[in-house]
Amino acid sequence: MAELPVSPAIPIALSAQALRVVRSGQEVLKDVSFRIAQGEVHALLGGNGAGKSTTLLTFLGFLAPASGSVQVRGRDVSEDIRAARQAIAYLPEAAALYGHLNAYENLRYFLSLARMDTQRPALDAALDRVALQAEAREMRMQTYSKGMRQKVAIAMAILREAPILLLDEPTSGLDPAAIDDFNRLVRELAEAGRTILLVTHDVYGACHVADRIDLLHKGELVGTFDRPPGMDRIDTEAVHAAFATHAAA
Amino acid sequence: MTKRLFAMAREEWRLWLRSRLALCTLLIFALLVTSTGIATALRMSSEHRERTEQQAVAEETFLAQPDRHPHRMVHYGHYVFRVPPPLAMIDPGVDSVTGQSMFLEGHRQNTAMFADARASVELGGFEVLTAALVYQLFLPLLLIAIGHGLIIREREENTLAPLLAQGVTGVELYAAKGIALAGVALALLLPLAVMCAAAIGQGAALRASAGVMGLYTLYVLAWCSPILLVSTLVRSRSLAVGVLTLFWLVAALIVPRIAVESSSAAIPTLSKLETDLSMQAELRKVGDGHDAGAPAFRQLQANLLAQYNVDRLEELPINFRGVVSEVAEAGLTEVMNRYAEQRMALEARQAHFAASFGWLSPVVAASAGSRALSGTDLATHHRFLREAEAVRIDFVQSLNRAHAEQVAHGDDINRSVDSESEQRARISARNWNALDEFSFQPTAAGERLARAGTPMAMLFAWVLMLTAAGILAARKMRP
Ligand SMILES: Nc1ncnc2c1ncn2[C@@H]1O[C@H](COP(=O)(O)OP(=O)(O)OP(=O)(O)O)[C@@H](O)[C@H]1O
Ligand SMILES: [Mg+2]
Repeated sequence: MAELPVSPAIPIALSAQALRVVRSGQEVLKDVSFRIAQGEVHALLGGNGAGKSTTLLTFLGFLAPASGSVQVRGRDVSEDIRAARQAIAYLPEAAALYGHLNAYENLRYFLSLARMDTQRPALDAALDRVALQAEAREMRMQTYSKGMRQKVAIAMAILREAPILLLDEPTSGLDPAAIDDFNRLVRELAEAGRTILLVTHDVYGACHVADRIDLLHKGELVGTFDRPPGMDRIDTEAVHAAFATHAAA
Repeated sequence: MTKRLFAMAREEWRLWLRSRLALCTLLIFALLVTSTGIATALRMSSEHRERTEQQAVAEETFLAQPDRHPHRMVHYGHYVFRVPPPLAMIDPGVDSVTGQSMFLEGHRQNTAMFADARASVELGGFEVLTAALVYQLFLPLLLIAIGHGLIIREREENTLAPLLAQGVTGVELYAAKGIALAGVALALLLPLAVMCAAAIGQGAALRASAGVMGLYTLYVLAWCSPILLVSTLVRSRSLAVGVLTLFWLVAALIVPRIAVESSSAAIPTLSKLETDLSMQAELRKVGDGHDAGAPAFRQLQANLLAQYNVDRLEELPINFRGVVSEVAEAGLTEVMNRYAEQRMALEARQAHFAASFGWLSPVVAASAGSRALSGTDLATHHRFLREAEAVRIDFVQSLNRAHAEQVAHGDDINRSVDSESEQRARISARNWNALDEFSFQPTAAGERLARAGTPMAMLFAWVLMLTAAGILAARKMRP
């Protein structure tokens, strides 16, 4: 894969070098390399089982590379897992919070574990941004719909105020209006300097919010699409076409 | 760091408080312990009252006996009782199988017996369930029920990833869950603490009671550690419950059984029939003290005549029959004590052997330590047997001495044929005061603590090893 054209003035937030990951004896990532500059939105696309979630887990140190390496803000994750997790807000694929707590309690609890003491107005501001209805916020989350739970999980990722966000299928379960809201939110966060690595199956959404899309197929990067200078989105057709080619192969 | 640990532990407690199941289980346990404790305490106090009454009556009737021939009093006999120590209301230990009262009489060593057998019927069998058993057997099940999911639940419900992603390490999570479980476990010791306080109020040694609390603290921690370890290692709740229940079965039911069986296999007790026969043979050699003319006492007779330089028994300044009784009693006692000591030594070795299974099961370790600290172990019972025997021989020999010194030989010989001799062969009832008042003192706290030392070390080893294993497993924790 060709060296990615990144301006040396902008620091690299996330990078993977010749990353190989083995899970249950199976090589699920093979020689994956990429770099994401600070403030960029990077989308990772690919079929089921391509290795997208695995890539995110490796940045968090939940999985160790069989060979190669991953860096967070220039530092090897294996060297300092704590620092990596401190710098990252992670929205897991199966985002789950405690069913016996309400939205506020969940947010306050998880944020307190990240040593953050977040007050009610800030919590409400974040929940407003993901448009979670006010009357649900005091209810135990076991009564929430999937989309409502997802909204609280997204709110938590924002509230973490981490410089880097790893979001695994953040729009799954969201209604179309909420997806639009989310896409807007991603752009705002990027403009505020946050780096976002986004795993998604929503090609259309990815083309709208991402500065770059990487296509992952059976553990290998098989295509990179940059937002052309001066354009406001990546060409959806081209991404779809590439997707289709690999799906057929 | 500690703030974060307690925040996570608090969260666990909040979950338990909000889930009715946990709350109900805790309530049921508290009820069970309290009712068991109260039932045992009531039974003990009624038994205690009865026993002191019986002892007073026995003593009174003994002392109220009129002037009699001393040897009739030897056969009249006397009851002694062992009052269980206050901590026995937590753990009656061997008391439930050994009996606490004994009939002391001449020429025999009786076995201890129960004050009465109706208690179990009246209390609906509740008395077999003691606070110690509830803690040793049921508390682990309760801890398994609420604790097996501590870490697996986070894994199964996908909250482990968000937790770890906040920068919480696996070891921190393990420690926090440990605090949560141990906190509940220690809270469950509250009823035990109340019982200990009640025992102290009734005169139990402070250090022994503190020892009981310490032992059970170690014991519940010895159960928290495998629960945490399994919850860290195993990937599904049902498997965890299965593994832990199996561990409970082995530790609480199988190993204690094996301990008992193998101790009697490794250290076989002598067959009762055989020992009885050989003891009877030895006793026959000593001779029957009622028959002063028996060949066994010829040498004694010759020696005495020589000592006092007389030719006939009538000329002796002491009653030969009384001397024979005394010598025969001493001889019999020597033989009986030898057999008793042999039997007790075997029993003690068996108990020691069985207790060493505490390395394989925390339940065995806890029950041995609990009995020792409560003052209801086998060693204490043996001490009762020895002290009762000391009282017996003392009272019998003082009567025999009176027989030898206060009853004239001629009167003694003729007392069955001539009523005047019979009258003269009686001695004053004042002699009955020779009976020592028997009061069995509880084992000193220091000695109880010393006896509980090894079981405590076993429990400590359990906690240490399983916690170390748990921490190792927690270091590798991944969502
Ligand atoms: N817990 C696991 N243990 C072992 N292998 C796993 C595990 N999770 C995933 N894999 C394997 O790793 C490979 C990549 O999985 P991954 O979850 O990264 O895919 P993905 O691209 O996120 O797919 P999806 O779009 O379905 O979420 C798959 O082949 C899968 O079989
Ligand atoms: Mg995935």
